[in-house]
Amino acid sequence: MASFNARITMPAEAKAGEIVEIRVLVRHPMDRGGQVDAEGRIVPRKILNRLTVTYAGEPVFRYDMHTGVSANPFVSFTTRAVETGDLTFEWREDGGATFTRTARLVVT
Amino acid sequence: MSSPISPACARPEPALSRREVMAAGAAGLALAALPSSVQAAAPPALAELIARVTEGAVPERSKITFDIPQLVENGNSVDVAILVESPMTEADHVRWIHVIAEKNPFPDVARFNLTPRSGRADIRATLRLATSQKVAVVAALSGGSYVMADADIVVTLSACIDGG
Amino acid sequence: MSAAGRALAIALLALAGAASAGEIKPGSTFLSAPMQRQQEDEARNPGWLWVEQGEELFSRRDGASPTCVSCHTDPRQGLRGAAARYPQVDAASGKLINLEGRIEQCRVDRQKQPAFGYESQELLGLTAYVASLSKGVPLAVSAEGAAKPFYDTGKAFYERRQGQLNLACTQCHDGLVGQKLRGDTISYGIGTGYPAYRLEWNGLGSLHRRLRACSLGVRATQFDYGSDEYLALELFLAVRAKGLALEAPGLRR
Repeated sequence: MASFNARITMPAEAKAGEIVEIRVLVRHPMDRGGQVDAEGRIVPRKILNRLTVTYAGEPVFRYDMHTGVSANPFVSFTTRAVETGDLTFEWREDGGATFTRTARLVVT
Repeated sequence: MSSPISPACARPEPALSRREVMAAGAAGLALAALPSSVQAAAPPALAELIARVTEGAVPERSKITFDIPQLVENGNSVDVAILVESPMTEADHVRWIHVIAEKNPFPDVARFNLTPRSGRADIRATLRLATSQKVAVVAALSGGSYVMADADIVVTLSACIDGG
Repeated sequence: MSAAGRALAIALLALAGAASAGEIKPGSTFLSAPMQRQQEDEARNPGWLWVEQGEELFSRRDGASPTCVSCHTDPRQGLRGAAARYPQVDAASGKLINLEGRIEQCRVDRQKQPAFGYESQELLGLTAYVASLSKGVPLAVSAEGAAKPFYDTGKAFYERRQGQLNLACTQCHDGLVGQKLRGDTISYGIGTGYPAYRLEWNGLGSLHRRLRACSLGVRATQFDYGSDEYLALELFLAVRAKGLALEAPGLRR
């Protein structure tokens, strides 16, 4: 059974106002539907369809994904360091399941 | 969850099939009228997909650096980098960046939604491309205008395709 | 043979060994520069997602007893270099065993749990994790002693024409290295990057999965995961790659 693993790479610390690059790699087959598995069965569509990143009180990035996003997708985006706090990453999967991770940014 | 332009998304109002849209266009019915410059720039199918995202507005070909390999290693995972020139202030920023792959079964690939707090409009991601085709990126600017870039991509087969 | 004669023979053998290892290059050198960089980037190479899963499984303190970590208390120290010595002959059974086989053996014989099964996400994760602990370590697999008959079998397999296309591994992986096969560049086929994340698979897979794809490629019989044939071949390939660094988790097309 696949586990949900997410690798979030970002600096632990930044100066106020600095633009920080955040790199996210997540484990998900992103089954686009219509492919056939080893037993010859058609695998239904099941993808992560949204990643929302919240920081200092509001969403700072939202990635709407469709079937044209690769399996085990990588995304990198930027955000300004405003205050010390947690960035919350929430993935939503087809069917409604959600997965959450946090990463702390210390702002000096 | 589904984008309005994706063929698989069932909306309450009747979705026009591509053939109907072409026929309607030919008959000169009132659709989003595309200036001839856009039609000359991109084949009808892609131009139409872009127009649906911009609600008929004509994107300018400027401000976007779109990095995508011309010859992809493997269509399962294609690296793209998109940079849109923008001060990313409240007054002037990129609201979203939308990617279209004209020949994917689902041409709507992804949308990156940004805010002034993004600092830069600077995105990297891994996408799937079904076949050789044109890939377009359209960015919506806060002032209401749109910019775009596109690229012609070749997708090859790898040597040992896994069958077993 | 005199002492001087023996010393000369050893020196000549060492030279011969060094020369062939010097020629053979790892699979990563046949990747594009961006892909080579991606392989080495832990933030970017999806293989690390499996390494993470493997580390979680390895470090579990509850569940099956003994747990991995109760015997291997400090894997970063204690297991560094371990993966570079597989496949090897299992002293107890006399059978050839690879890293996957050793992990399953621990699971079944010591933990008294059902085997995970080849290509299961758990076994892939654990194999990727244990292999990653030896990343950069030069392969040091023996072809001598108890391993010799298995090595000879593997070498014969490598040199034998097979399948409807009637091709032997050596014809491409020695004779046509650097040439194109559809979108790919032919490598030496040594497998030091496995288990690897392969774009073609949309996931991480074992060396045996890759060998099965090779067999299919020449329209030959695909042997089972963990089969004697692929194990012997794996041993031959590891000896062929002696001195080259283990790259797992690799990134391949």
